[in-house]
This record gives sequence, structure tokens and C-alpha cells, in this order.
Amino acid sequence: MDPEVSRQSSNSGISTPALREPGRAKLRPRSLRRLRPFAPFFALVVLSLLVGALNPRFFEFNNVVRIANSAAIPLVLALGETFVIILGSVDLSVEGVLAVGAVVISLLVRNDSNANALGWTGAALAIATCAAIGCLNGLIHVQLRIPSFMATLGIWFVGVGIATLALGGSTVRVLDTSIRSLALTRLLEFPLAVWVALGALGLAWVFERFTRIGRYVYAIGGGEDLAVLSGIPVKRVKVIIFTLAGALYGLGGLLAAAQLGMGNALIGSGRLFFTITAVVVGGSALTGGEGGVLNTFIGVLIIAVLANGMVLLGISPYVQQAVQGLLIIVAVALSIDRARLKIVK
Amino acid sequence: MLCVKNVSKTFGVVQALDDVSLEIGENEVVGLVGENGAGKSTLMRVLAGVYAPDRGSLQLDGRSIVFGSPTGANLNGIGIVFQEQSLLPNLSIAENIYLGQERQFVRLGLISRRRLNAAARRQLEKVHADFDPRTRTSELSFAARQMVELAKALALEERTDRHLVILLDEPTSVLEQRDIDILFARVRALRARASFVFVSHRLEEVLKISDRIYVMKDGRVVAHMPTADATVPQLHQLMVGRDRHAEYYRESRQHAPRAEVVMEASDLAVDGAYREIDFTLRKGEVLGIAGVIGSGREELTRTLFGFLPQTRGMLRVNGREVRLNSPSEAADIGIGYIPRERRVEGLVLPLSVAVNMTLASLQAVKIRGVISPKQERELAKHWVEKLHVRTPSVDALCLQLSGGNQQKVVLSKWMNARSRILIFDHPTRGLDVGAKEEVYELIRDLSDDGIAIVLTADTLEETIGLCHSILVMRDGRVTARFDASPGSKPSQVDLIRHMV
Amino acid sequence: MGEMSICRFLRPQRNPGKISVLRGACYFVSEFIKRIYSNSAVNPPNRGDLAAHSSNHMNDFTYPIPRRTFIRRAAVLAGSGALASILPYRVHAAEKVTVVNSIRSLSNPYHATWNQGGQAFANAIGADYVTLVTEGDSEKGIADIRAVLAKTGGNMVLNVDPNDSPDARPIVEACVKAGAYVVTQWNKPADLHPWDFNPYYVAHISFDGVRYGEETANALIKAIGGSGGIVALGGILSNTPAIERKAGLQKALDANPNVKLLDLQVANWKSSEAFSIVGSWLTRFGDQIKGIWAANDDMGTGALEALRAENLAGKIPITGIDGIKLAVEAVSAGEFAATVSWDPYWQGSMGLAIPYAAKTGKFDPVKEPKSHREFYGTGSLVTKENADEFYKSHIESAPKIDFSDLWGRVTGQIRE
Repeated sequence: MDPEVSRQSSNSGISTPALREPGRAKLRPRSLRRLRPFAPFFALVVLSLLVGALNPRFFEFNNVVRIANSAAIPLVLALGETFVIILGSVDLSVEGVLAVGAVVISLLVRNDSNANALGWTGAALAIATCAAIGCLNGLIHVQLRIPSFMATLGIWFVGVGIATLALGGSTVRVLDTSIRSLALTRLLEFPLAVWVALGALGLAWVFERFTRIGRYVYAIGGGEDLAVLSGIPVKRVKVIIFTLAGALYGLGGLLAAAQLGMGNALIGSGRLFFTITAVVVGGSALTGGEGGVLNTFIGVLIIAVLANGMVLLGISPYVQQAVQGLLIIVAVALSIDRARLKIVK
Repeated sequence: MLCVKNVSKTFGVVQALDDVSLEIGENEVVGLVGENGAGKSTLMRVLAGVYAPDRGSLQLDGRSIVFGSPTGANLNGIGIVFQEQSLLPNLSIAENIYLGQERQFVRLGLISRRRLNAAARRQLEKVHADFDPRTRTSELSFAARQMVELAKALALEERTDRHLVILLDEPTSVLEQRDIDILFARVRALRARASFVFVSHRLEEVLKISDRIYVMKDGRVVAHMPTADATVPQLHQLMVGRDRHAEYYRESRQHAPRAEVVMEASDLAVDGAYREIDFTLRKGEVLGIAGVIGSGREELTRTLFGFLPQTRGMLRVNGREVRLNSPSEAADIGIGYIPRERRVEGLVLPLSVAVNMTLASLQAVKIRGVISPKQERELAKHWVEKLHVRTPSVDALCLQLSGGNQQKVVLSKWMNARSRILIFDHPTRGLDVGAKEEVYELIRDLSDDGIAIVLTADTLEETIGLCHSILVMRDGRVTARFDASPGSKPSQVDLIRHMV
Repeated sequence: MGEMSICRFLRPQRNPGKISVLRGACYFVSEFIKRIYSNSAVNPPNRGDLAAHSSNHMNDFTYPIPRRTFIRRAAVLAGSGALASILPYRVHAAEKVTVVNSIRSLSNPYHATWNQGGQAFANAIGADYVTLVTEGDSEKGIADIRAVLAKTGGNMVLNVDPNDSPDARPIVEACVKAGAYVVTQWNKPADLHPWDFNPYYVAHISFDGVRYGEETANALIKAIGGSGGIVALGGILSNTPAIERKAGLQKALDANPNVKLLDLQVANWKSSEAFSIVGSWLTRFGDQIKGIWAANDDMGTGALEALRAENLAGKIPITGIDGIKLAVEAVSAGEFAATVSWDPYWQGSMGLAIPYAAKTGKFDPVKEPKSHREFYGTGSLVTKENADEFYKSHIESAPKIDFSDLWGRVTGQIRE
């Protein structure tokens, strides 16, 4: 709080209008600026219309179901990541924790390699394990003061290592029908996994808007110094959020085991990119304090629609990767307030 | 009721508060005035629980008390409205007012937004502000945010039985007159529920609103009187009255500048900061710019080095009209900048002395496109000798040097780059007396060499002592010009009169 | 249902050759104390006795030795203690041979099985066994190999699946320099040949991606009745196996004009990506899809689950490549039309048996034809007909391998 930070403002006396408006005329009218938070939503709509115009089968109900199905797991993962990012940190351990979750579940419920058949208790245990790993993330970050980037990077590999150790490198098949029913049974035409993901979204939204911790996440992201001065238990909140993220990744692991019918150490491979992209594309700022789970919901849909659309339109596989990369750049460019950033690293 | 007893506070070399005692009674407005750096803000922060005093104590209703944190102060009824704001821009008004206090609105684990907003509305009513409590604070104007902060401070009423004390730290320096009137009306109306401490450099305002006035200077309370007994000139005198040792500033070395003009400004303006600035700067001249925070002098300084290009008017350097869009452009035409925060803006601390010295003039040490470390060190050794920089070697890291020597390294950097115009921004901040004197010598040396200097100094004394001419700014305009040749230097009261 | 043997696949690897660092440290400390004690002038045993008594490799230590030399050597030993976790308890300069497998990771069933094959071979000949894991890091792979070469003094054979083609050269050169016999598999630069590094670079084994891509494609075409539309899931575009197998698919398509390739998408060897792609395909092509060709089993199983979610499992045949357990089971269940097994057990064991045979003089690499130096191994096509039997012989139990049959699976020299 530098007392001598200069401010552009008007001064006493009969002030001329010129002095009251700092800087030169803005390039965009104010109304357009107010629409910025809705940019991702518009992007989603435009994208959908575009794909649908080129291939009307996009709008078929079955396709909507398929898109929802392919978005379910990423949504759950991205919810966890969202809270961490709003906090101003980042969580790279998604793949590792998800692997642990999937592996633990596949070993505890009825499977083809041991005699366990713990059913939903097993699922709960797996999610609890992942929550514990998330808690570890939080503690390492908060107590040992290791930047979240490094702490979660380490836990990522530890997670994959644990999963490898548990299975000796092989794959275990999940035979428990009630677990598999998450993916195979449909409610109102949508697989249960989709409903689970939507349920998680709802709970996350309530958490974000109506609980104190949800509020504190934004306060910490918006100005951690101020949050500390206001008596907010910053360390505790951070640990809780990482734990919550871990639990959500564990839920993702459960859904993945159900969807693919198996557990192995590499089941999470490649999912981190999707997760972080979804959060960023949805409009949550990587610097923290901005965004929310609804933003992430839109972000996940954008990526799922894009993936579906590229296949529907027969876009060459060589081009698809470039498109995904471009997506991130465009999304971030549209959503950050560049006027406020002087130094960009 | 609330007493400050013999409080002292030191930050490193700087003694911010020296045996300060103060009393704040119920239902009164206490004014606190003093120059930049007199210790007003520090005292406010000690009262608000942000800093703990090194010596001395605070007393509430006769009992000694330690706050430990701003929350502790809050619980004892003390709230502060900071000069630079402390609202979280990404939260709503209601969320900000009740930040950390949401528990009272929680039912079944969930915050009732309805009740939160209703409560916030009630607080806003106290200050007659009818904003929608759901608005994000980033969308409010500065004045509006000021009101919200006031409401936030007043909300403390609900949390404590104690009498409220609200500390207002320079609340008006960036408000329009209209808004200032509103603020004062509120403060007067609220006297029944709270005491206020009003810190400002605008003496007329202080006289208007406060019941009693304390005057601080150099970390001490030098005077204390009922407002009825105070006049502006008297306050001026108390604020700055200090003997000036002519030789401290090497005034005997002050020679008339040369005739050649190196920089000229005509009707220079940056919208929202300053306007109608005219001056000429000659070779060997030291031009001082005096003004309080918000006077526009900081922005003017930044314009001269390319941080803040002017929106109107003309700036001429060495006869050519220029518009400096970035510091590197300024450096290219021979302007150097010795910044206020040298540790952050002037040096790359983890790098060595030699590297820092050549940072602005790497062309000079390149051989066939590659930096020659040998040449770099030769140059560095030259400057170390010339400026008497005390360093174990030219390879020592800058963070190992003392403040004064760091300042010399910054200076060498620009002299290496053959700058002919140097802008000094608070050059002696944080330096001890000996180091300060060295800097003054250097300034005289530079001036003798024909280098022109624009000086924004920490204290009026420095400005008067070092400069050939002085521009006084207030509220974005030049309010006075002084010729400060030795023998006919203006007094500090002369300057203060045009600054506040 | 064969739970016991499956369990063996699931337990973490136990290699009697590995010791814990703790054990090594304890050993070192006890030796240190012994040496210090016997350093006293009271009872100097003679040198010959000591050498006879020492039941280990410390023939560096002669008695009496100055303390400084001792400490210096102790430091060397402590340093090599860092390798203790991967080295056998006893390493003799001129006694027991060490057999070494270097693979990418143990996190996937393919390499896990490879490792078991190597273990079995080591047990069979009573050699010490070491597994090196690169984790996808070429530098680590090469460094680990150099370390083992140094420790064993070259008294070892190496079977390596290099992380990337260029890695093969430094590895081979290091082995040749140390006098160790080496076999490479899968990846090597095209201009690196075993016959240029006689006799130490014994052989390079690979599998013909084109051939097996074609075989599985043919199996798929047969399963769909010879005509109709199919879709293809490819691996990471720049990987050689992905390119080769795709080429094989293309050959099969060229030979069957009634079969149309509706689309090829890249699922990067991952089942989760295959899952999404198949979903989108069903929207785009609907009933037109008669079969799905996948460049590996992971993608194939992902596709299978996508079908299962739409109640189409078993109705649209799928083929994969790799021969993992899930795939073979799927073939038995009629959900997969075919898969190909490389038999990593064979790769892990014979990859050691061949250089070992060369080392022990059973054959002279110089005298072998080029088709024994750089050859394609045999993959087994697993279809409905032989799935059950293959499962019993290769997955439920360890395959029976005749380690003396060196060239039994050579199918031809690698194309130039």
C-alpha cells in the first residue's frame, strides 16, 4: 500500500471536464465492456451454431447426450481446479490424484484381480483417499511455503507412482455392476455420470455463492494481504480448498473407472490440459479472484463441443491440435483486462 | 479515552515516530497535520493495529492495551479508512463491508445474501449513500468507494460496545469539492456516535472540521491546540520551522547554470494529473519541483522519463520536440532516472555492481556484438573510484551494498550512459546523514559538469538548499516559481503557502 | 479362475537382486567397524587370510591401509551405495553375470510383463537381474545404463527398449566400450547396424507394424463380412508404430475395394480420447459404421466402452494391437474381432537370452546372417478361434519359453 501511488482523479475547485476523465477516450464503448464476462457464453453459442450449420446432426438429441457424456468427467475435474485457481494458486496434480482414485476403486469393488467387493463403501474410501492427497497438497503449500505449482507437480508424480505400485503396472477390470451403472444406466436419456457431474456443479455453485469459505476464496484471490488483515483464516481456507479439489478429482476417478470399466495408472494421462483450459476458457482469471464454477461449466462445454465438432466436420487430425492450442490463446486474449496489466510475464 | 503514550517506531534507519503522545476523547474530531514524512500515516497505522509500536503503549479508557492485528483494533472500536483504498475490487459492497464478519448472516452453513445486503444497506444509510450493496466495488468511482470505506468503518458499531474511533487518512486528497462537502457533513453528523482523527495536508479543511489539532514534524508532536486558536500561517510555521544549515547542502558550490537550454516544457498536461506546466531547464541547473501528494509532481516527473507520455502540450529536449513513450526512448535521448525505490526500480539487486553500472549502456562494452566482461569491469572500476563507491569489488552483488552506495551505483549507470539530463526522484530517501551529504556533493559535481537535474526531493529543505529554481505545484498546476540562488533562497513557509 | 497367477501380475515386483539402501548402509558400517578394529597393531592378520576370509567384493581393501585411503574408498563405496537399490547384493568383477532390462516404465501392462520375462530368464540361469526404468527420459536411460556398465565392469548383458531412436547409438557405443553384449528392440536409427559393432551389438528386434496393422485390418474386414464402412483410431502421429500400422491398414483397404474408410482420427494411444471420438463418430456416421480399427488395445477398449454406453458392444467389431488382457478377454467375448500380441514376456526374456548366448559362446554373432542380426519378431494374431487358448497360455500363466530357441521367432530381416 504505497501511500504515494498516484491516482488519476479530479481535484478541488471548479474542475474542468477534461481533468475528470483520465486517459484518452476508450476504444470500446462502455456497454461493450460490460458484456465481457459473457464472452465465453457467446463463444459457446456461436461455436455451436457454426458446427450445427455445417453438420445439422450436431443438434440431434443423441449427440447432445454424447457431448454431455464426454464432458462429465472434465467438468468434475475442472470444478476442483476452479476453486484452486480463484484462490490464485494452481493444481497440477489432477492426473495423479485421479489415477489413485480410479486404481483404489478398481481394487476395492468387485474386480477381476482380487476378492474385494466393497461396492459404494469402496467408492467412498477412494474419494476420501483422494481428498487426503489434496489435503497433503494444501499442507505442503501452506506449511512448507512451497509454491502450489511445485507442490502439486510433485504430488502428480507421486500419485501416478502410487497407482503404478498398487497395480504393478497392469490394468484391473471393474466388474461391479452398480459402479458401472454410473456410466451405463441412463436417467432421462442421460447416463448417471452426467447427473452426478451436474449435481457436483450445483453443490459447487452453492458452495461458491453461499458459504463463507466460498466467499473467502474470492477474497484471498482478490487481495491476500487484505484478507489476512481482515481476519480471514487464509491458511485454513487454502488447505480446505485443496482438499476439496482432491475429493473432486477422486470423484472424477470414480467416474472414469465406471466409464472405461477399468483402473490403471495411466487413466488420468492427458487430462490436465483439458482441465486447465476449461477453467481459463470459461473466463476465470489465472491470477485469481475472478470467475466461478458457472464460467467453468461454459468452458468445459466449449471444449467438448469443439472436440465433437471437429470430428463431425471431419477436420484433419493434423489440424486439430493446432486448433486446440489456438483456442487457449484466443480465450485468454478475450477475457483478460489488458488495460490493468502493466507487466506481463 | 484513547491515548497514545510515548510511542516510538523505527523502520530500519528511519525513525518514523519519536516519543509521540496523543489523546482522543469521545465525540470529537481531532486533526493531525504535518509535512510529508512527518509520521502521520505511521501513527495512524499504529492506532489501527497494523503496526506495533517499538516503545510506548496505547491506552483505552485508562487501561493499557495491545491490538496485535487490525482485527484486534476493530474489536476495540477503532477503524481506519486508508488513503489508498482497502476494498477488494472483485467483491461487492456488502461483501466488503462485512469481510471476515459473515458469521452473523449464516444459517445452516449458508450465508443469507438477503440479510447481508439488507445489513449493508443499513450501514450505507449512515453515510447517506444509496448504492446498491450488490455492486462490485471495482465499478464504483473513487469517491463512492471512499464512502463505502467510511460505512465499513462505521459498521464496527455493531461489533463492539466501545466508543468508536474512526481514523481518516488523507480522505480528501483525491476528492472533488462536492464530495468533500458531503464527507464533512457526514462526519459532523456522525460525531454523536464516534470520534474521528482527520489527517490531511489541506490546512483549511482541517481547520474547518476538527475540534483540536496536533502538529507533527520529523516524527514528533510539536504542537497541540484547540482549532479555535489556530491559523494557517501558524500551522505552516510549526510544520516546517527548522534551521537550514547552508553548508549541509553545499550551497557555496552552487554556481549559476549555463545559458544553453536542454529541456523546455510548454503547456504540458496529462489529463487527470496536471496541466499548463511551463518551465525551462538549462545545462548545469538544478530544478526542484515541490508539492504534496496529489499535486501532480509525481506524474510530471514520470512524464519526463517516459513513464507517462503527455496528453497535451509540448516537451522539447535539446531543441527537438519529443513525446517520450517509454523509458527506453528517454534513455536514448540522454535522460536518466534515479528512482524513488532504487531497490526495485533502480538496480537489479542480485546482479553485481559492474553489471548494474553498464545496464543502460551495453553498447559501450560490446566487442563484435558480444559483451566484454573485461571492459565492463574496467568501466565499473572507473566509476567506483570516481564516485567513491564503497564496495568489496566490482563483482560484489548490489544487495550487499549500503543504501548510499547503491544510490551511487544507480547514478553511475546513467553517467555511463552519458545522460545529460538526470531526474532525481527522492534521492536521499532512506539514507543516513553521511550518505545524504555524499549525494549532495555528487549533485554539485554533476551540476558543475553541465548536467541538468530535475529534483523531486523528500523535504522542502532539500529542495530549497539544492536547487537553482523551484516550481511549486498544487492540484495539478504550478502555483509559484522561485529563484533559489544562494543568498536569496525562499523560506519553507514561502513554499508551503503555495503547496497546501 | 486363475486368481493366484493373476495376483502375481499385480504384486509389486520383487527382485532378489535389489537391496535396500539401508541394507547396504548397514553392511558398509559393519565393514567399517571391522576394518577400524582390525587396524590396531595388536593382532594383524596376514593379507592372505583376510582375502580368504572376506566373503565379498572388497578386494580393494588390503590390510593394513592408511586411514585416508580407507576413507576415500569408503566415499566411493558410499557413492555407489546410491546405486545399491538397483544393484545386486554381490557384484563380482569376474564372477556372476548380470542381466539388465531397460524399459520405459513399469506403469503399463506391456512393460510389466516384459520385466517378468526378464526375471524368469535370470532365475533360470542363476544370474543377477536388474531393471532400469527410463520414465520417458532419454538422459536418465543412458545415464543409468552407463552406471550399471561401470559397476559390473562390463560383465553383463543388456536388453534395451530405447526411449527414443537416437538413444540407441550412445547406448550401443557404451556397451561396446565396456565389452557388454547388447540387444536393442523397437527403436534405433536407420543407419545403426549390429554388424558394424561386432561382436557386442548382437541384434536388433522389432515388429513389423505394417504387417500387423494389415493383419488386424483383414480380421476386421472379415468380421464385417467383406464390405461396409469402418473408422480408424490412430496413435500419436509422429510415432513410428502409428505410421507403420496405419500403412498396414491402408494396404488392407486397397485390397478390399468394398470396404470404405469413413474417417481416421488420432486418439494418441489413450482410451479416454478414443471414448470421446467414437461418441462423435456415432453422431456423424450412425449406422454406417460397421467396424472400428484401433492402432492399439488401449484405444480399442476405450472405443468398446463408448459402444457399451450405447448398447452397441459386440455389435460393432473392434480390433486393437498389443494383446493386453482386457483385449484378449474382449476377443473371447466377441466384442473384439482381433488383437495382436507381441508377447512382451518373450521380448523381456529372449532379449536377454540372445546376448547371453553370444556372451557364453553358444554362437558367434559375426557368423550369423543379417536376418539374425536385425529381424522382425513374431506377433501372434489373437482371434476368436485361438483367444481362449491364448489366454490360458499367455495371460493366466507365464508363457513357456524355450530360452535356447534363439531364432525361432525370426520372421525376416528388417526392411532397409
